[in-house]
Amino acid sequence: MSEDSKAPHTTSVARLLWILLALLALLALSAGSALVKLGVWNNVINLGVSVSKTVLVMAVFMHETEARNLTRLASVLGFVWLTMLIGLSLFDFVTRSHVPAPW
Amino acid sequence: MSAVAESVPARGETVSVEEQYDDAVQQREAATLGMWVFLATEILFFGVLFASYTICRVLYPLGFAEASRHTDMLLGTAETAVLLISSSLIALAVRAIKLDERRPAVILMCATALLGASFLVMHGFEYHDEYQEHLIPGIDFQQTGPHVRAVELFFCLYYFITGFHSVHVFIGVCVIGTLAVRVARGTFGPQRYTTLELAALYWHLVDIVWIFVYPVIYLVGRSG
Amino acid sequence: MSATAHPELSVRSFLARDYGLLDWLTTRDHKRIAILYALGITFFFFLGGVAATLIRFNLVEPQGAIMSAETYNKTFTFHGVVMVWFFLIPSIPATLGNFLLPLMIGARDVAFPRLNLASWYLYIGGGLFTIAALLAGGVDTGWTFYTPFSTMFSNSNVFLVVIGVFITGFSSIFTGLNFIVTVHSLRTRGMHWFRLPLFVWGIYATSLVMVLATPVLAMTLALIGLERGLGVGVFDPALGGDPLLFQHLFWFYSHPAVYIMILPAMGVASEIITCFVRRRIFGYRFMTYSMLAIAVIGFLVWGHHMFVAGQSVYASTLFSLLSFIVAVPSAIKVFNWTATLRKGDISFEAPMLYALGFVGLFMLGGLTGLILAAPALDIPLTDTYFVIAHFHYVMVGGSVMAYLGGIHYWWPKITGWLYPEGWARFAAILMFFGFNLTFFPQYLLGYEGMPRRYFSYLPEFQLLNILSSAGASILAVGYLMPALYLLWSLRYGRAAGNNPWDARGLEWQTSSPPPKENFLSPPVVREPYAYHEAAP
Repeated sequence: MSEDSKAPHTTSVARLLWILLALLALLALSAGSALVKLGVWNNVINLGVSVSKTVLVMAVFMHETEARNLTRLASVLGFVWLTMLIGLSLFDFVTRSHVPAPW
Repeated sequence: MSAVAESVPARGETVSVEEQYDDAVQQREAATLGMWVFLATEILFFGVLFASYTICRVLYPLGFAEASRHTDMLLGTAETAVLLISSSLIALAVRAIKLDERRPAVILMCATALLGASFLVMHGFEYHDEYQEHLIPGIDFQQTGPHVRAVELFFCLYYFITGFHSVHVFIGVCVIGTLAVRVARGTFGPQRYTTLELAALYWHLVDIVWIFVYPVIYLVGRSG
Repeated sequence: MSATAHPELSVRSFLARDYGLLDWLTTRDHKRIAILYALGITFFFFLGGVAATLIRFNLVEPQGAIMSAETYNKTFTFHGVVMVWFFLIPSIPATLGNFLLPLMIGARDVAFPRLNLASWYLYIGGGLFTIAALLAGGVDTGWTFYTPFSTMFSNSNVFLVVIGVFITGFSSIFTGLNFIVTVHSLRTRGMHWFRLPLFVWGIYATSLVMVLATPVLAMTLALIGLERGLGVGVFDPALGGDPLLFQHLFWFYSHPAVYIMILPAMGVASEIITCFVRRRIFGYRFMTYSMLAIAVIGFLVWGHHMFVAGQSVYASTLFSLLSFIVAVPSAIKVFNWTATLRKGDISFEAPMLYALGFVGLFMLGGLTGLILAAPALDIPLTDTYFVIAHFHYVMVGGSVMAYLGGIHYWWPKITGWLYPEGWARFAAILMFFGFNLTFFPQYLLGYEGMPRRYFSYLPEFQLLNILSSAGASILAVGYLMPALYLLWSLRYGRAAGNNPWDARGLEWQTSSPPPKENFLSPPVVREPYAYHEAAP
């Protein structure tokens, strides 16, 4: 009995290799830009590159098993929850005011 | 109701369907959903370390920048490239198995495992260098400067994050290596490949975690 | 089936054949795994109860009656760790959930039976390891392991206990994962989402919480262990680490954990109430959406445990607001249970007594939770007995009563025998009385200012403490009774038949006990709680 109801769906070699190239280019971008003083944009670029790489890996490399809406939902749920954890905790830390001791 | 149903295999074995499933398609879909749910738990597991890092970095931006400069950016970048390449190789391997290209699949899987092992070796070199530079909190930490406490905090996180990640890499290398042997023996084929897909998903997760580890550990304050 | 028949000897029953210990310890049958869990849970409940008894004995005297302060700290830590992680969290999901989930959706087993068995071993292994560490030296930090005391200053078995709980956490994660995939993948033909019994929805919502919250606990405990082992870490104030970071991470899990405890109980209550009022539930869709809302919003309220810890006032305000919001779906459920009862044909069998007790006590506990959700009120009440009373009302008056109600309701299905109804009703009423006598005085004690986790107290609190301890002894008798008469029923009880309650739900369409494969013929799926129609 076959695990697929039809012939297994595959991505072409070319596509997979192009994505790899894109990933390595993004890596070079983050590494290169880190050596340049760009202030807050360093962080923006680095985070943006990480998110982009993740999206590429998930959308292309992991695509076949992610094809159903349900698994797509499962795949983002972890990230969403992590954002909630970091977001609300950070909100506490950045909104604290320093009350100096009276002495 | 369902017995073990088999069709005459072209190449590769057929999959046996467990009795709680009606057919192989249902079983496969359940297995992949299960794996994705597991990956979500791993995101949250590592996420605690990223949350701790984020908060500490917001509190001590200068200290973290100085600490990051102590890490080996060249090795870190190489490790990232290695994992990205290995991710593409395992994706190619799963593709090959689906197309019944067994020999390429074995080679690709072995290459994935080797790249994973080389990641661990490179990281071992990093740890060795850090040991020599007295950068191991709690065991041998001798640094000075105005941000020394934050540097120590950074390195606590560094060892925690890379330590847990390396354990996951090691497990992945063992699993993929073992599966490569089974592929060579003909256990998997176009009729039966779910286990390989699940292992590949796990490996991609290991890659994704590192995609985030890399900039937060190696790329802070590099422009001096 | 005749009253003299012996159901478990029926060849097809899941209890028949394979009688050996090894058969049981290597089973993949979700029904047997449920029973294995039930044994473990009963054992841990008993241990946690012994600790509670010791605590209440000690609090009879203002200066402590039977133990030293150090021992007292270890005792309440033992009570908390065991009751939270080894009793409450697994109780309904691992026993009733494991047994009933496949039956209720018309499946033959859960999605991953071997993982299910592995979860049990993780639970037992982690549990025994933790108990050993708690008894051989103990831990005195409270079940909440606050830093820096737990990481730097406590001279106790913190390291070992966090390892034990870490291991057990994976039991939770894998169980939740198993249930999620089971509900998505193995529903029988015709069992659409909005035909599922509310118990299944409750287990599903619980599983979402288990899967998303427990990994955070695991890593947080690992960080404690690492910090204790290495002497440095991210919670260390000397390095600039923040003890509040620990609390954020800990409560991100531990608040949703209480929803792990209550959501299955809510599911049980819906099943029992509909059966003994002979009606469908009022507002089925709202009940399902409410459970999902509780599961999701419950992740956003954890800061209400930290109002006095040094959290920013803005974060406290936000968490307070969200805590008020999370009460709304719970309130909707209480209204809907009540509306289900209205003009119904109510009968007061033991499960119904438990379910009604659950609704009332959960409501009281929930209302006091709202009081605590307001920072202005929480500041004087936090870390007093008011908080202890609040969470015991929801956990014991809520979850434990629902658990016992479920055990009684499904006992005939699981074992094939009927328990003695008279004794069961008496035990339920005794429990209700004992519970309120134990915990209501604690609201007053907290209001008066008696701190929690204190070995001694001011003399003017003694009367209320004595009342509370008296209540605890009645409650203990109440708990012992089912242990006795349920066992009695296995030998002397009357045969139950397939559907002694004339309930709806697929589990009642198969024999009691069910056969190994659950159904000998495909069950008939209809809308849930079709009490206006005859049973199929």
